[in-house]
Amino acid sequence: MKVYRLMLFVMLAALLLGSLSACTPPAAAPAAPAATQAQPAAGETAAPAAPAEDKTLVMAMNMDDAVTFDPAIAGETTNLFVHNTAYDQLVEIKPENLGKIEPKVADSWTFSDDLKTFTFKLHPGIKFASGNELTAEDVRFTYMRIFNVKGPGSTNIEMLESVEVVDPLTVKFTLTASTPQFLAVAANPSLGIEDSKLVKEHGGTDATDADKTDKAKDWLDRNSAGSGPYVMTNWAPKSEIVFEANPNYWRGKPYFDKVIVKHVSDPTTSLQMIQRGDVDMIRSLDVDLVEQAQADPNLQVVIGTSLDQNYLAMTSNPEISEPLSKPTVRKAIAYAIDYDGIIQAILRGYGTRAPSIIPVGLPGVDATQAIQRDVAKSKELLKEAGYENGFEVNLHYGSNPTRETIAAKLKADLAEAGITVNLVPMEQSVYLSEMRAQKLPMAFGGWTPDYLDVTMWTHFFSFPDTSIAMRMWYDSPKTQEIATKIESEMDEAKRVDLTKQWQAQVMEDMPFLMLYQLQTITVLNKDIKGYAFHPVYFFNLVDLSK
Amino acid sequence: MSLAGHLFRRILLIIPMIIGITLVLFIVTHAIPVNPLVVILNEKSLENPEAVRSATEKWGLDKPLPVQYLIYLRNLAQGDMGTSFKTKNPVVDDLRDFLPATIELALGSLLFALILGLPLGILAAVKNGRFVDKVSLVVSLIGASMPPFWSGLMVLFVFYYKLGWLPGPGRIDSRLTGPEHITGLFLVDSVLTSDWVSFWSSLQHLILPSVILGWFTLALITRITRSSLLEVLSLDYIRTARGKGLRERTVVLEHALRNAMIPVITVMGLAFAGLISGAIMTETIFAWPGVGRYEVEASINLDYPAIMGTTLLFAVIYMIFNILVDISYALFDPRIREQ
Repeated sequence: MKVYRLMLFVMLAALLLGSLSACTPPAAAPAAPAATQAQPAAGETAAPAAPAEDKTLVMAMNMDDAVTFDPAIAGETTNLFVHNTAYDQLVEIKPENLGKIEPKVADSWTFSDDLKTFTFKLHPGIKFASGNELTAEDVRFTYMRIFNVKGPGSTNIEMLESVEVVDPLTVKFTLTASTPQFLAVAANPSLGIEDSKLVKEHGGTDATDADKTDKAKDWLDRNSAGSGPYVMTNWAPKSEIVFEANPNYWRGKPYFDKVIVKHVSDPTTSLQMIQRGDVDMIRSLDVDLVEQAQADPNLQVVIGTSLDQNYLAMTSNPEISEPLSKPTVRKAIAYAIDYDGIIQAILRGYGTRAPSIIPVGLPGVDATQAIQRDVAKSKELLKEAGYENGFEVNLHYGSNPTRETIAAKLKADLAEAGITVNLVPMEQSVYLSEMRAQKLPMAFGGWTPDYLDVTMWTHFFSFPDTSIAMRMWYDSPKTQEIATKIESEMDEAKRVDLTKQWQAQVMEDMPFLMLYQLQTITVLNKDIKGYAFHPVYFFNLVDLSK
Repeated sequence: MSLAGHLFRRILLIIPMIIGITLVLFIVTHAIPVNPLVVILNEKSLENPEAVRSATEKWGLDKPLPVQYLIYLRNLAQGDMGTSFKTKNPVVDDLRDFLPATIELALGSLLFALILGLPLGILAAVKNGRFVDKVSLVVSLIGASMPPFWSGLMVLFVFYYKLGWLPGPGRIDSRLTGPEHITGLFLVDSVLTSDWVSFWSSLQHLILPSVILGWFTLALITRITRSSLLEVLSLDYIRTARGKGLRERTVVLEHALRNAMIPVITVMGLAFAGLISGAIMTETIFAWPGVGRYEVEASINLDYPAIMGTTLLFAVIYMIFNILVDISYALFDPRIREQ
């Protein structure tokens, strides 16, 4: 009999040991939420005389896309936030006014009338986190390295011909084509100025064969070489990024001494973590959890309109789909979709929609001009095109839970107009391969801008040698003519007018239409101040304080 | 044949098996219609001719497939598993980054399964048909039937969010950044560097994911121990032992258990290999930066070098554990040693 008691004892002991090690609260045990939230408030009142105050910010963020932080190779979304935090760009676009280019490393700039030469005067006395001085040579090195490594970063500066150091604080860019958006491109976080001495020390080069000889990636993945407010001191993939305040930051020392960005991919878990006080903010929360976050008095929920958009593209090639190649049919489809239903029911209202493909938030885009659902009109257009009995078409998309729901909704909407849609979900990589092979009749995809200029859309969606237009066989001389004009126009008012013309033409041809533009839901502890959403780099870490 | 000779032959056999596995993997992964460029570059760069040309050349995509395969084999022989399309890191480095977290979790799970599973199995056998036996059946059934993506969320909700008894996701407290990197196993590294704060924190963080991941193995061990012990307990020599007047504890733990352990060890070896390769769900829920997530992303992106690398690694782990299981048979059963 004793044997079994012994067994029971062993099991109980094991259980007890487990829970004991859990309950004994050593230094870092999670405190009850109430206690955690009370502390900062107390710290605030005693701010000047609180040397032991914890100035660490912990943030939960899904960083599944992060694969590298070398500015020359990174082409994802998380790196835009990281590069904006650790590097300074020549110019910047602040959250308050997305249409305005403001000075950052460059105090001022001039450009030639043909928009092919841009000269920047640098702010004197800027020091990198390493202590090295930031000069025109660093600017030249940065751009030439990114250009010559020929990774995703080089796509934004394809038009670069040469970069010339005029004097230590003056740098001149010569471009192969007129580029009015060059200033907006220069604000792209990944074009932050690299410390050329430091990068070279770790194997970096700007030579023409840099795509084979540059060896700085390993080091740049886990460190940063910039002059930004924070220095990246570690990156553990799928785990965390650690930033420490840059003591040399030329715009003043940032509030937090240390920022830890935790990779959390499960949204429910991230909400639990902020409610338990383990993290101070969640970069982006799922729409399904917003109400729960809003109900918590210790949290603040901030909604920002992102420029991330989801579109429906239809081929113009009759060999791929005879009906879709007719603009009238494509318009009929545009009238058949229940956009409000998608935004209200599936996205719970956390979305918006622009009339063409250029998102709301850019100059010249007016959400009220968007097409509204009209099934009768859709049927009429189908009849006019000779498809009164409908037709069958395949809809391809890279599968994820939201897209699955929306694709099912599209199928139901189009069925009401008499069009039979077959859903073809694919892995994102397969989808992109097929789309790039120009094979898809109807594609449901997404687009995220790298820089804030209308050419991010008018270029890639107009010309038959660029991403989206080529893939859907869209080749409209009228659209291209307007897009070409936009690319040589610097006057803001004229650009707005051209943007409107471009949108009207695209809505006439209807090769693509925007289904929805997502809103970003950020959750912060209520004592964190200074947060402002930015559609490219999420937010400026240096603006945050307690 | 001697044990050493037998072992040597088994280890040599790994080589042709690896070649076979790589061939099958290479054919299967390349049969899927994905252009590797969409994984290597980002969407906007796909029509940038310079970037496309450079990437094609760098990754050897311009070479015919059989040549690509031979290059892969040649590099593999030198310990080079190629460079991941997605992370642009050598696959060997990526695995070195992600494997320690998974091993730590697998060890924690196995420990949990053994500490509870063995006694529970023994009790269930001895008390066959009684209350304890039924409890063990229920525990096993729950373990075998609850999917970790549900049970993981539930235990987090109860023990972390509601009760606050145990820490939440991650390997360590969110305000700590982990002990100095030596082996990558947080518990070992924090002991080596006498970093007791990290040790406590990572030990606590290990509990919930280990329980969730190990529960299935616990069920397996409990059931196998029970049935194997029941079988042995009905044998003649046990009756003899009891007849000699030996104490029941001696009969069960010393005479019967030793013989009953052989199937348990077989299961344990394979279960451990399974814990390493099958922790994907648990890793996702508990934000655990292990090799399972890496494997899934490699598959989703059709990152050939990473898929081949992780699959090969898992295959080798299975082979090694099979050999270890064979060796341990010899330790438990003198008859096998003599053969």
